[in-house]
Amino acid sequence: MFVVPPFFGHVSPTLSVGASLLARGHQVVWTGITAIAGQHIPEGGSFIVPHQELEEHQDEIVRILKRQDDGPSLSGPEVMKLALEETYIPFARIMMKGLSRVVDDFQPDVIINDCITFAGALCAYLKGIPCVTTTPVPPDVMGDTAQSAPKIFEWQQKLIKGLQKELGIETDDFVIHSHQLNIVFTSKEFAGFSDPEPHMKFVGPVKGRPNNAPFDWERLEAATTPKVFVSLGTLLVDIRKEFFGKLIEAFANEPLTIVAATDPGIFEHWPDNFIVQSFVPQSEIIPKMDAVICHGGFNTVNDTFMNGLPMLITPIAYDHFHTAALIENAGCGIKLRYKRLRVAELRTTIWELLKNEKYRLAARHIRETFTKAGGNNQAVALLEEFAMIGV
Amino acid sequence: MDQLIQETKLSNEEIFTVLNQFITEVIGEEFVEEMDITPASSFTKDLEMDSIEIVAFSEKVKAHFGENIDFTGWLSNMDLDEIIQLKLENIINYIRECQ
Repeated sequence: MFVVPPFFGHVSPTLSVGASLLARGHQVVWTGITAIAGQHIPEGGSFIVPHQELEEHQDEIVRILKRQDDGPSLSGPEVMKLALEETYIPFARIMMKGLSRVVDDFQPDVIINDCITFAGALCAYLKGIPCVTTTPVPPDVMGDTAQSAPKIFEWQQKLIKGLQKELGIETDDFVIHSHQLNIVFTSKEFAGFSDPEPHMKFVGPVKGRPNNAPFDWERLEAATTPKVFVSLGTLLVDIRKEFFGKLIEAFANEPLTIVAATDPGIFEHWPDNFIVQSFVPQSEIIPKMDAVICHGGFNTVNDTFMNGLPMLITPIAYDHFHTAALIENAGCGIKLRYKRLRVAELRTTIWELLKNEKYRLAARHIRETFTKAGGNNQAVALLEEFAMIGV
Repeated sequence: MDQLIQETKLSNEEIFTVLNQFITEVIGEEFVEEMDITPASSFTKDLEMDSIEIVAFSEKVKAHFGENIDFTGWLSNMDLDEIIQLKLENIINYIRECQ
């Protein structure tokens, strides 16, 4: 049983791993606060939302989800508070009752909680069910706060311990994550972990979740100029217009083909060299591209380097800055901070990425580390082994 | 004697002018133009500085005001709310104390 948050970026890799588990004959369900559209769920799986228990929390859930739109306009430390104090902890609290019932109904052999969906691991701990954690982003986003910012470290500890205590968990250990197996969907080379703890297993990107979105392939095939894919992911709705406005200004008259994954309705007219569509079959489009522009959403980052492409990353908030630093360390892309985005710089940076071979070579090296990490097969092998020992 | 010391110390306004210049260098003139930087400006909220910019800024402060001004060390002892609230005038006071 996967326990997931209402953020598609975190759900996405679990859908891919879940598809592989289902193909191997396992029973797989997902549970969370908001249902995801049926077309995303692999055949044979199901998504359970405990509506009955969530009913009393509806207003709070709506408020927390709406609050996420503030992320881009907040500073780093404010985002830290928003994430842990105003989102992860309250969601854990809200989910516990319904999740507990769903777990009793389904009787999972293993609970797999997403790294920001603490309720999964907490519930597993309370019921004595073996637990695995999935981590879609490079871990250690906050760095070593115990050393570098003791008061922030203390704040984190206090919040998590408080939550555990409230749920009747008296241990001093943190049980919001699994200490037995944590599957991370990147490579340890890219994440900058030379010597990870033994339960941290870096399996690289996974694939295979259903995505049947149609696309104007003919128009893309007809394009003769270098192709650049642009995505802001599924969140960050409020800043789309501003962001894509800058892109239009930068690239409308350049010999480039821009594939923009966004609602075309935000502008009345798009330049002729822009192909714009809201939901795209991203993993099929990116192999046909020459470069990618994104804010650092991890699924797009993985798709990009799985195809050995250079990236222009425009970090906005959350863990984007951490990801941007990893990309610059690896040499496979260039960071331009969203809040300091200059149109001229956008233009010169994209041409630098397209013309200077070194970025592509570095991106191909990351692809090698991703492939070597094992992907779906490795994730399934780890889970099967874990379930055998755990049961 | 007192007077001598007074003269070697920079006034708040003088420090502010220097810091204003550093901020412009770090985040770029065109972005500063849109901001109204005052001693009451907050680092994270008004100036929207990220950690890399704050590090670059603190290097400049150190180079100008002296090695004993451990700006990043001072920051690392703050909690989140203190960092969120941090204003230019807090730094001006800190520099004056260190002088």
